[in-house]
Amino acid sequence: MNINTVHDVEFGAELEPFQPDTSIDVTSAFADAVGWGDGGGRFTDHELARQQGLPGALVPGLLTLGFLTAMIHRWAPTGRVACVDTVFRTPLLADSQVEITAVVTDVDEDTGAVELDLSAKNAKDETGVFGTATVMLPLE
Amino acid sequence: MVDIEALKAQFLDLEFDVKAFEIDAQAVAAVGKVSGETRAEFTDVDHPDFQAPPAFIGSLASGRHLPIDFPNLGGIPMDGGKAVECHKPVRPGVPITGRTHLHDIYDKSGRSGRMVFIVTRMEIYDEAGEHLATSDSRMVIRERPDA
Repeated sequence: MNINTVHDVEFGAELEPFQPDTSIDVTSAFADAVGWGDGGGRFTDHELARQQGLPGALVPGLLTLGFLTAMIHRWAPTGRVACVDTVFRTPLLADSQVEITAVVTDVDEDTGAVELDLSAKNAKDETGVFGTATVMLPLE
Repeated sequence: MVDIEALKAQFLDLEFDVKAFEIDAQAVAAVGKVSGETRAEFTDVDHPDFQAPPAFIGSLASGRHLPIDFPNLGGIPMDGGKAVECHKPVRPGVPITGRTHLHDIYDKSGRSGRMVFIVTRMEIYDEAGEHLATSDSRMVIRERPDA
């Protein structure tokens, strides 16, 4: 269900889960676009990342924040993400399955503010990134 | 052990970096697209409301991560998280300025020792002085026992 106004939102509702593209082409393109270059390979090359002691090339935490806000925008095409706060707990790997989920934790029908709990998990159901967001939705 | 309260008293809320940015439209669109954005205002440079998504705003980096006289706490700093607060659209091609200070310092102790968390806050303004966005970076440092 698309959300158009704050009155469409139900407390406790879960957003449609989102499996983003975590391919190394995507993580490389993100690193390039934000000016990190190849970062010594940590986001662009599994072998170079392993040489740095990492388990493989990583999905940048900020890209995961981007996945989370993209999911919110899909859910609420008229909404505006006023605030998103993320904690990077465990590295998520490029070329691996990641599932992005969110649940509504508060709805203020007077102001249009909706609070969400967010998480990004890997295929082992380990949370790589979690956080919260405040989304402003139209009142009518 | 570093005295967190003394660090807070010495460093919090003191601006230590000012940096000018001019955002590239193609870079913004690229970030929107690889993030999986479906809304054109974050992916289409020709959209009338084209603007930077929060992930791009969070990528704007100050010239320094910490004040020049901040003590070395030892250990390897890790990226502990990001927060972005959007007040008004940040648009490509418009000169903006990031003003950075330390917003918070706190610690947590566990079996492996003490972790120090440092929150660096960049406030982003346009040329008219309008506050467009705030970006927080949370750095985590596992304290060296002899620090």
